[in-house]
Amino acid sequence: MAATLPSLAIPGQRLGSTTSYAAGPGTHVYDAVIYASIAGPVIVDQAQAKSKAKSLLTVSRSINRQTGATPSGAATVKPTVSTTAPKPATTKPKLKYNTLPAVDSVVLARVTRVQKRQVTVSILVVLDELSSSQVSDPSKTTSDNDNIESILSSAANPENHSSSDELRFQALIRKEDVRAVEKDRVIMDEMFRVGDIVRGTIISLGDQSFYYITTARNDLGVVMARSEAGNMMFPVSWKEMRDPVTGLGELRKVARPF
Amino acid sequence: MDRRRINGPPSGTRPAVFASSIKTAPGAATERPKRQRQSNELRKIFLKTGIIPTASGSSYVEFEPSASLAAAHSSPQSLIPSSSSLKLACTVHGPKPLPRSATFSPNIVLTTHVKYAPFAARKRKGHIRDTGERDLGVHLETALRGVIVAERWPKSGLDITITVLEAEDDRWWGDAADSHDASWGMMNVLAGCVTAASAAIADARIDCLDLVAGGVAALVSDDSTKDEEGPKLILDADPAEHQSIQSACVVAYMPGRDEITELWLKGDSSKASLGDGDQRVGHEALIDGAVDAARGAHTVLTEAVKESAERFIRQAMG
Repeated sequence: MAATLPSLAIPGQRLGSTTSYAAGPGTHVYDAVIYASIAGPVIVDQAQAKSKAKSLLTVSRSINRQTGATPSGAATVKPTVSTTAPKPATTKPKLKYNTLPAVDSVVLARVTRVQKRQVTVSILVVLDELSSSQVSDPSKTTSDNDNIESILSSAANPENHSSSDELRFQALIRKEDVRAVEKDRVIMDEMFRVGDIVRGTIISLGDQSFYYITTARNDLGVVMARSEAGNMMFPVSWKEMRDPVTGLGELRKVARPF
Repeated sequence: MDRRRINGPPSGTRPAVFASSIKTAPGAATERPKRQRQSNELRKIFLKTGIIPTASGSSYVEFEPSASLAAAHSSPQSLIPSSSSLKLACTVHGPKPLPRSATFSPNIVLTTHVKYAPFAARKRKGHIRDTGERDLGVHLETALRGVIVAERWPKSGLDITITVLEAEDDRWWGDAADSHDASWGMMNVLAGCVTAASAAIADARIDCLDLVAGGVAALVSDDSTKDEEGPKLILDADPAEHQSIQSACVVAYMPGRDEITELWLKGDSSKASLGDGDQRVGHEALIDGAVDAARGAHTVLTEAVKESAERFIRQAMG
């Protein structure tokens, strides 16, 4: 059955019938037939032998999502059959149909504005589910901003990026979403500064212009920050970072380093 | 506009060329270019994706110049080329956040812009989009809206910008304007726009139902056409090659589903001399012809998008 599948699909290409496969991201169903809707490699996620579920047919946006079995070359790509390790049924991975921020996705964002009740951030990158749990090579994630290294290294001078912030998705961290305990004692100036890089999860798609982000978890919060002297700081506790040159500490909502 | 002074003409002036003087003047450039192709033969199409690195998707399309234009290049008889061919670039930016002022949208919001370069056509274009360009943008948006799976990209916008670098002529430059005159070149431009935008959207990896391709067919009558027989049906007409185009049709067509997302028919298609036993009405034949032309363009589109996917895999592999 897999032999009839093309290795590389283009939009509108017929992939298989819904009786033998389930349609995943990158495909759509028309007249009980699965068609590709983006160009890319075709991936069959083999259903577990025990369950009655059909194999999931996807057209991938990122070939790095496959575990281990990467195609050897562009011309000789074979339909890759990746057998995912049987997971507990409760943690079924959510299918991602686009590269946009979605509820529960982990994002890296840069603080653009700090106010009394909220901070405004612009989303730099949406981390992949897989890579965010394993913390593998951060360059192997899918988003509009593929080059994370360059984004993060340029993060400390926000004035250079005033125009590109318009092109990124904006989000808010409200005062009550900063941390899980002592929510009413939060002072925004002691949590974030403009230019900080924050790891957070999306809690809501929000209104027309802003997503809502929370950092109310130990592993969420500021991951990179510069001191007032302009040096990169290292975390010393859950609420303090220190400048290695001047030795001065500054208050932040620090993400737990791994 | 300065109202206190005497202004020059808004777009530069050109010396007048009279049709009568052309008839007598010798030289290849003063003769109307002749169609060298079969009536159902398309011009060769060059289509490439991923030419603009800063855009999330891009494409460049070029139609093969007519044989007479190639001949004029090798032995120029006149500074005025006898015909022009289509060249255009398409960029896709997005998915990106909607502007502050926009309301919430659960779907992707599509915006299309078509702009001629100032030097694209014989008549110089201004920097502000004129009605024709805006019209093309609307037609293009209709053609694409039926193709994109909009609900997969909530709260985001997609900007599709097309720059026409060289446009098709509306008629041969030596011809005086006649009663059948209309902006025929625009229809070829629209077909090119649809094909280019389709490739660029696929390059940007926005979900689509199918690769939509544009095609043009026309009913033309030439000097050789006798009065009693009607105009002939030809695919992918170059307006410079024909004395008068009676009607033309452009479609945006999805071959996988046999669906038309955009149809634009202009002119009088009541009279048509089709083959013996062909019972179709003029406009039916015209639409069928345009669909055939779109099918031809789709084969090129398929290859270009495959190339885009292979390049994407190569990049991801490093």
